[in-house]
Parts: sequence; structure tokens; C-alpha cells
Amino acid sequence: MHYLLRRLGYGVLVIFGVVILVFTLFNVLPADPARLTLGQRSDVASLQAVRHELYLDKPLPVQFLLYVNDLSPIGIIDEGYPDQILHSHVSLFKINSQKTLVLKFPYLRRSYQTKKEVWSILMEALPNTIALGIAAMIFASIVGILLGVLAAVKQNTWMDTSAVFSSVIGISAPSFFSGIIIAYIFGFLLSHYTGLHMTGSMFSISPFAGKQVDLKNMILPALTLGIRPLAIIVQLTRSSMLDVMSQDYIRTAYAKGLSKKAVLFKHALKNAMNPVITAITGWLADLITGSFFVEYIFGWKGIGKVTVDALEKFDFPVVMGSVLVIASIFVFVNIFADFLYALFDPRIELK
Amino acid sequence: MPDKLIDVEHLTISFPHDDERVPVVNDISFHIDKGEVVGLVGESGSGKSVTSLSLMRLLPVPPASIDAGKILFYENAKETNLLELGEEGIRHYRGNKLGMIFQEPMSSLNPVFTCGDQLVEAIRLHQHISHPEAEKQVVELFRRVQLPTPEKMLQRYPHQLSGGQKQRVMIAMAICCHPQLVIADEPTTALDVTVQKAILKLLKDLQQQLHISVLFITHDLGVVAEIADRVMVMYRGKIVEQGTVQQIFKAPQHPYTKGLLACRPPLDRQLKKLPVIADFMEEKNGVIVEKNTDIEELLSQLEITSLQKEINLKTLQEKRPILLVKDLVTRFPGKTNFWGRTESWTYAVNKVNFELYPGETLGLVGESGCGKTTLGRTILQLVRPASGEVIYRGQELSKMPEEELRKLRKKVQIIFQDPYSSLNPRMTVGQAIMEPMQVHGLYGNDKQRRQKTLELLETVTLKPEFFNRYPHEFSGGQRQRIGIARALAVEPDFIICDESVSALDVSVQAQVLNLLLQLKDEFRFSCIFISHDLSVVKFMCDRIIVMNKGQIEESGPSDEIYYHPKTDYTKQLIAAIPKVGGW
Repeated sequence: MHYLLRRLGYGVLVIFGVVILVFTLFNVLPADPARLTLGQRSDVASLQAVRHELYLDKPLPVQFLLYVNDLSPIGIIDEGYPDQILHSHVSLFKINSQKTLVLKFPYLRRSYQTKKEVWSILMEALPNTIALGIAAMIFASIVGILLGVLAAVKQNTWMDTSAVFSSVIGISAPSFFSGIIIAYIFGFLLSHYTGLHMTGSMFSISPFAGKQVDLKNMILPALTLGIRPLAIIVQLTRSSMLDVMSQDYIRTAYAKGLSKKAVLFKHALKNAMNPVITAITGWLADLITGSFFVEYIFGWKGIGKVTVDALEKFDFPVVMGSVLVIASIFVFVNIFADFLYALFDPRIELK
Repeated sequence: MPDKLIDVEHLTISFPHDDERVPVVNDISFHIDKGEVVGLVGESGSGKSVTSLSLMRLLPVPPASIDAGKILFYENAKETNLLELGEEGIRHYRGNKLGMIFQEPMSSLNPVFTCGDQLVEAIRLHQHISHPEAEKQVVELFRRVQLPTPEKMLQRYPHQLSGGQKQRVMIAMAICCHPQLVIADEPTTALDVTVQKAILKLLKDLQQQLHISVLFITHDLGVVAEIADRVMVMYRGKIVEQGTVQQIFKAPQHPYTKGLLACRPPLDRQLKKLPVIADFMEEKNGVIVEKNTDIEELLSQLEITSLQKEINLKTLQEKRPILLVKDLVTRFPGKTNFWGRTESWTYAVNKVNFELYPGETLGLVGESGCGKTTLGRTILQLVRPASGEVIYRGQELSKMPEEELRKLRKKVQIIFQDPYSSLNPRMTVGQAIMEPMQVHGLYGNDKQRRQKTLELLETVTLKPEFFNRYPHEFSGGQRQRIGIARALAVEPDFIICDESVSALDVSVQAQVLNLLLQLKDEFRFSCIFISHDLSVVKFMCDRIIVMNKGQIEESGPSDEIYYHPKTDYTKQLIAAIPKVGGW
């Protein structure tokens, strides 16, 4: 429990660091948010008004404090906040008639472009990204571990060498390259047989049935996204299995009279899993957050596509918000990974 | 005529080596009767472990290949050749009729399963009973092997147990399906002498209660004497001698057996130097030539009187001590609180006082975990003490800055326990020995250093052409010599030997001990000799300090400690040393 609290504390610190970094970064960029918000019709008066609304007329440190206040789950709010925040908070302490110290959701502000709340934009995209990332990881883990075990057991045969060789190719191919190749072959050339398309999102909207889940569209992007972790998992599982197979307790297991299959899958695999879990959890965070290229190529409406689109338009609140959400996911997945280790290896105590 | 259980006939096993097949086990034949304990003795590489693994068909084939022979297993007037069974067939024997105990209890249990699960798995593999019933049997077994709180042991993981306890779990696993034969491959080599004694007694008791046969494999004849009925001596893949324990110990025939018997440091007499195998035989082109040495004669030649020893010690102590240790305390953090601050400490060394005289060898004995290794490291300032003083030639080391200490490290060296992991596998032997000279800028240039290294290799009886070879090409004894050469390279006047011979076979141990003694005469360094084996310490040292739980239990001249131990702890240590019967 202590351990969990401490890890969460570190996590909050990390996220705070990211906040500082992001804030500074976007304040040195040479773009005027007020002008971007107003677009073509810009007179001095409305520019001033927007500047005031976005706190741009205040000095930088004040701007930063206001930003942090918006993000922090405990903060001061007044009438100017959007309805969602005003309706869903727990009052802690009333400072004066306008300001109250409250417990609230983090407020990521509004998009400069669409005026929609950043939070809701991201939350619309996030499930798509998470689903894609997890699908890719499940594919990579299952196939990767099986291939890795196979390569280890058949060490120095053609199966081993070809598994290692193809995994080297998998590691070295960048995802925008393999993405295009895969999309072209399976989604265009072979589209007739596979029934898959080059682009598409998880939800398709048809005029009759409304919003529909279209899981078929996930196959190609998940495959593309999964290739690199798959290759790494194959290699890690292989070397880790080879290491474990030469341990004394494997000989003990054989001496009990266990069959080769039982020794492999019960005694060896569980021991070999530790480095593989590191890879899987490490990559999971990476996949959820790093699928920019793949989402862009396949037109998958996830957080990556939203961010890239926002960057093109200098829509800072969306970009800042997505960076923060990504950082939080990283922190969370890492804490989760530590608990997984302890689950697989009783020698690891969480301290 | 007792019933036969196992008959091994003309067994020959070979391994590939440089495109050739080298026989590791060469045409051996032996038998094991029902209810009999047979000891198989030999040095590492003699083929004894290969023999034992082949009985269980656990040898990896390939690379190994069984070229000839039969292994017959007798049961209900029926004989089965284990070598002809298929994979399914042999699995019915493994764990069921043949149990096995391995050398390394630390690594022989699967770390991710509880002890209970590992035994239940073995039992349910061969008996059709439910999980709870199997668990009941396991608790009963744990009680039999005298594990504390058997019920709780079910849920324990191997890393939560001590080495001795793990070996008890291994024994329980070996006997869980009521096997006819248990093969014990060096089951006590990795354990302290006191734990070894307890495990040997347990094995013997169980063997008699359950009436099982045991094949006991070891490099130490002393251990065999405690447990076996019959002994086979193996050398270079052949069984050179077999007979009852009485015959082997009273009237050994083969020179190798004589050598093995004589090379263990004797307890009841003081020797200048230990007999080695080479005193009894030499090999010319693979043919053994006996030297007709009489053990008794040789021993009396080598003996020195205890009076002489006393005089030696007196002269040593006339000089000013080279090292003074005062109220030394070393502690390690135990529990930490929420903020990472330490709440409790484990005291590895607790208020230790002693002095070391120039040219003296001081022994540090005690069970593992008594703090002897930490004490050695604290003296060298590899671990900084919490309080107390270490005064070396009038200089206080414990508060000296790292920079100045580095200059002193030239004078103070350590030889580690594990010759396998203390040499960098990517450095040649020559580089490893030259490195400390380079660090301290000795002997001007690399050419002279190289010359010096070649001399050192010769000093530790290694060939100069080993200079460009890598550590993995050498045996344990040779590696330990390399370690010694490296320590001597900077001409230290004080060396700490931390269990330097514990990982070696007794016959190799004798050679290394002799070498150390000879070098001490030549180079005149002082030495702290750390070991859990009192017989070795008694042979090597002028004075002995017995340590227990971080504190000095007692200290004094080595004969004094051995003949008149004052505390129970010391008496236990002495009683635990395996006695070679006969003389």
C-alpha cells in the first residue's frame, strides 16, 4: 500500500514535470492563439477580448498558475468555467461569493478551432486508440510468445533461424513503411479476397443502422502496429527461454518424470516471462500513444490522428491535452507493470 | 546373497570435443543392491555426474552419446534395460522408482512455484490421488525430513528457505513416490559443514527407515565414510577401485585412492604441507605409474610438532601488529519506513576486535551468515563500517578518502571464493594479471609487466603459454591459481582469502593450500583466511577466530581452539567435520 502511494506520488510529479514542459514549449512557439481563434475577421477589439478570455494578457507565471489550476483535481473555480465543471464538482471551501475551492475533473480548456472542449474531443478519440493498441498487443504477445518458444525449443533448426531472421526485419522496418505496404497489399491488391479496406475507423456510420462497430477495419492497423513488438517479443522469449531451459530446476522437473510439454509450458515459460512482460507493458504504453503514423495512414480516428490534425492547425489546447493524457497513460501502465512482475515472480516484493 | 536392484554393464558414454568423440565414462560396470548405500567418489570431470545422470536418462543426447552398455533395473524378478526404454517408458521410472537429489539446492527448485506445489505435482504425476490428499502426503513428508512448521512450508517459495531447508525439500521430493533408488549427486557440497552433517544423518535415517538404495556421489572421501556401505572410486572415466568402506579406508589399493585419502587436512596432527595425488602416482601418456608411497610414512615426514608451531607463533607476535581492528561495526539497512529512512538495522559485524601480526595467517571460521565475509570486506573498506577503527600500519582506514585508499589497495589484496565469476571472461589470463600492475603503475612499462606476469604464472605452477588464453578454458583449480597470481602481482603485504578453496575438490584444494603456504614463505605476506571448514583453517592458520552472529565467539592459537574449545558453537563446528576413519 505504501508502495502504491509512493509510486502514485512519483507519477504525479512526472505529470507535473510534463505540464511545465508542455506549457513552456507552446509559449515559445511563434503563433498567436488569439489570431488563430478568430481566423480571418480580426479587429483589434475582438482580438483584445479573446486575449482576455484566454488569459493571454496576463504575465506568463500567472498564465501558468491558471493553467495548473485548471488541470489540478483540486482547484479554485468561478462562474467562467464551462457547465460540465460547474455541475460536477464537490465543494470543499467557499472563498468568496464567486470563488470556491473544489474537487473536480481536470479541465483541459477548449479547442481554438472548434470551440469544443478538449476533454471531450480526446475522450472521443481515446477509446479508438486504446482498442487499437490493445488489439495490436494481444496479437503481438500471443504470436510472439508462441514463436519465441518454438524458436527456443527448435534451437539451431531452420525454424529458429527463420524466426530470428524475420524478427530482425520486423524490428528494422519503420511503421509508416510497413503500414503503407500492408495497406496496399491487403487493403487494395487483395481487397477482393480479404474483404478489407485501406482505411476505416472502428465505427462506421451507415444511413440505416446508424453507428456500427466495424471490427474488421481494425485488422490491418493492428497488424501493422503489432509487427515491431511482435519481433521484439519473439527474440526476448527465445533468449529468455534458452536461458531458463539450462537452469537446474528444469533438470529437476525432468527428474520428476514430467513430459517435455509440461516442463516447457509450466516450469520454463513462467520463469521466462519476466523480461517479456517488461517488453509487453513498455510497448503497450508506446502503442497506445505512439500510433500516430499508423492511425494517419489507415485513417483511424484515434488520439494520434487528432493530435496530428491539431498540430497542423496550431490548436495548442488539443495538443497539450493529448500530451498530458499520453503521459498519464504511461505512468499508469508502468505502475501496472510492476504489479504484474510480482504476480509472475514471487521473489519480487513490492517495496 | 542380497537382491540386486541395478546392474550397470560396460557403460561407455562419450562427448564430442574438437571433432572427436572423447569417452567421459569408459566401460564401467557396477551394481547396487536393495537397501544399500553406495558411494561414488572422484574429482570433477571424472565422469561421476555423467554416470548418475545416465541412470535417469537425463543426459542430453546429443551432444552426449551412450556408445555401449546396459543399465538393468530389477523388479519382481523382471529385468528392464533402462537404456532401451522410450521417452514415455523412462518417465514412468523418473521420480517414481528413481529419485534424484542435485548438488545445488539454491537453483534446483523452481523459484516461481511454492514448495508444496512442486511436491504435489511430482506425487500426482505418478499416483492417482486428489490435490488435498497429495497435500496431506507432502505435509507428512516435510515432517519426515524435519522441516520446521510443515503445514506452512506448503505455501513457502524456495527463496524464503535456507540452503539446508531447500535440500530437505529436495530430499522430500526425491522420496515422495517411494522410489527404490535415490541418486544423490553431491547433495552436501554447497552446504556448510554443520548443515552437511545434519543432511547426511537425515539421508542415512530415511534410507534405513524406508529401506531404499542410495547412490551417493561426492568428491570428498570423508563424507562417504559417514554414510556409505560400499565405495567406488572413479578416475578419468573408469572405476579404479571398489570395496566396502572398511577395505577402502584401511587398505586402499589404487594410488589415486591413497592420494584422495591423504589429501584431506588431518585434524589430529599438524602438517607442514598436505600430501597430494602426485605424491602417489604420476601419469605418463595416459598410463598411471604408481610411486609406492606409504601414507603413514609420508604423513610423518610432513609432520611438525605443536611445540614448533607455538614457537613460530611467539616469534611472529614479537613484532608490531600490521593490522588492528577495534570495535568494528558494519550494519545493513533492514526495514525502511515510508520516506525511505531506515528503521531497523542488521548487524553483520558487531564490535569485533583483533590484531594481525606480520607474516601471520589468521583464520576466520563460522557458518554462512556469521559475518566473516563482511568482516573481510570491511577491513578492505569495500564496505564502509558504521563505527570502529581499522588501523593498518598506523593508518586509520575507515575514514580515509577513496583517493588515498586506492594507493593502499596495492598493499592489500583479496582472493575470492568463486573462481568462475571473479575473472572477467573477456580478458585473457595475462591481461587479468597485468591489470593491477598497470593500475598502480608498477614495473615501468608493459614489457616488464609482461615479463613479471610470466614469472608469476610459473610461481603458481601454471604454464607461461597460458598468457593469451581466456578463463573459460581452465578448471576451477587453475582459475583459483590465476586469482592468486593476480593478487600477488602487486606484491601485497596483506592478503584476504575469502573461502578461496571452498569451491574446489579436496584433491585440488590440497594443491592450492600447499601453493598458498609456499608463497607465504616466499613473499612473506600476512593473511586472513576465511572459511567455514575448520579442518582447512586449522591446517593453514597460526591463530583462529571463531565468529557467530557478527561477534567473535572465541579466538586463540589453532591447536588451542581445536583441542580445548570453550564454547558449544565451536564444539559443534568441530563435530561437524567429516572424519576419515582409520587413523
